[in-house]
Amino acid sequence: MNGSPLPPRAAADAGIDAAAQDAAARRLAAHRRARLRAGLLVLASQVALLAAFIAFWEYMTAFDKQAAFMFGSPSAIAGFLVTMASDGSLWRDTYVTGVETLLGFLVGNVIGTLIGLSLWYSRFVSRVIEPFVIALGSIPIIALAPIIIIWFGTGLTSKIAMSTLSVVIVALVTSYKGAVGVDADQINLMRTLGASKFQIFRKLVVPASLTDIFAGFKLTVGFALIGAIVGEFMSSSEGLGHAIFKAGSLYIIPKVFAALVATIALALILTFIVGKVERLLMPWRRLG
Amino acid sequence: MSAVVPPAIAAGARAPVQAGAPPLVVAHVAKSFDADGRVVPVIGDLSLTLNEGEIVAIVGPSGCGKTTLLNTLCGLIAPDSGRVSWFGREMSGQPAGVGYMLQKDLLLPWRTALRNVMLGLEIRGVSLSEAEERAHVMLDQLGLHGFADHYPTTLSGGMRQRVALARTLVNEPDVLLLDEPFAALDFQTKLLIESDTAKLVRESRRSVLLITHDIEEAVSIADRVIVLSKRPTRVKAVYDIALGTERTDMIAARESAGFVDYVRRIWADLDVTRN
Repeated sequence: MNGSPLPPRAAADAGIDAAAQDAAARRLAAHRRARLRAGLLVLASQVALLAAFIAFWEYMTAFDKQAAFMFGSPSAIAGFLVTMASDGSLWRDTYVTGVETLLGFLVGNVIGTLIGLSLWYSRFVSRVIEPFVIALGSIPIIALAPIIIIWFGTGLTSKIAMSTLSVVIVALVTSYKGAVGVDADQINLMRTLGASKFQIFRKLVVPASLTDIFAGFKLTVGFALIGAIVGEFMSSSEGLGHAIFKAGSLYIIPKVFAALVATIALALILTFIVGKVERLLMPWRRLG
Repeated sequence: MSAVVPPAIAAGARAPVQAGAPPLVVAHVAKSFDADGRVVPVIGDLSLTLNEGEIVAIVGPSGCGKTTLLNTLCGLIAPDSGRVSWFGREMSGQPAGVGYMLQKDLLLPWRTALRNVMLGLEIRGVSLSEAEERAHVMLDQLGLHGFADHYPTTLSGGMRQRVALARTLVNEPDVLLLDEPFAALDFQTKLLIESDTAKLVRESRRSVLLITHDIEEAVSIADRVIVLSKRPTRVKAVYDIALGTERTDMIAARESAGFVDYVRRIWADLDVTRN
């Protein structure tokens, strides 16, 4: 998208008030500057908040051995991060958990979204299965972990299954909500244009649900990660969950936090990727 | 450009199409709704005819069942009694060859202006290149040359409503049902779009049924104004509008001699009382 919202020539051709278009362009530029300023201020405040928190933590644990043992200290955590990075375990664990999370996220969202969207087709079927969906959705996934290990073993598959299960119901519910939330007037419009039910589905319901589907994606990135880590807690030989669990059992609190930092970084990276894909797939949302 | 298939044929007519039958005849239609166990009559007894190439405006007091009427006309709800016939054929369902336009532009935000206009053609299976060509022509006619690749969020309210109009007209409907399509627009924009609509519609001799609460809009654009009563709705008065000017210029229409008189009489008919 270039800077000016309209090529001046097109505006003149169209016989639309060129001055109004100019004013619109100026408003847009001013709006962008204001937004950038506000964004920078938010970022600066966030950095300051984080720095203050870390400084406070470091100060409270610097002269108190017991506190340092119980809560770790930012410097100790940083030390562990460096060690784990240099011996390669940080990358290996993050990679393993990342793969589990990503696969669980994808499988869960594909299944959940397909079911959720296709439920739009039949109000009857969706009413029939609604209580079952709610019941399944209310099961804490962690309670399933022992069964999942029995069914899928202690390897990668069980972690992906845990991750998938954490995602699938949320994906189903958000995509269904998006599909049934489509403006009735818009559906009527499609009907008056002669659209079949499938055409309404494909040309209206699916794209209109994208906003909700992506909201679900953002939510389920975290859920997929929780699923993978809980799976690793139960039984594993690698991954961030494994690192956290092991360090915790050995009372190496700073190492727990170090693995946690890696987990947070992983979550942020995955969320960032989802946001990028969203902007790529929904270019119209960047405008206006 | 291919000939327009008469809608009754396109819809797979069961009854034969009567040659020269008016596009729309509404005869003694009545409709009531259940509200908490009480029967609320919305449309009392309504009859009207829309002739070919004619612009008819319907005005009525707020809550007089205009939406119910529109939904009945396009087959979304069935009347309790009476008949609705399109081109001499009684319809039960969605009539083909009828274009709609509502106050909400209902543009799809993920489609550019051009692709929004192409929607109906795409649905009917017109080839992409032909649909694109026709949509471009339509956008040009409505003064939107150069805006084809704009998403609706980057267009003004008036431009969006022009795109919606293009989306309706590109399907070459025989009849247009307009439900307060210009109500949300500012006055100047409204006059311009009304003029363009009148021009395009009159050039192609399409028939238009315009539902509006704007008396001045009704008088300036329509050949005939039908005034509805309060609920249960019936026809209260009918005015054949003769302004003696070119009926594609809304400003000239408003300046013509008879204009104010019509507006005053219709206003009196509406019997708007202050509370």
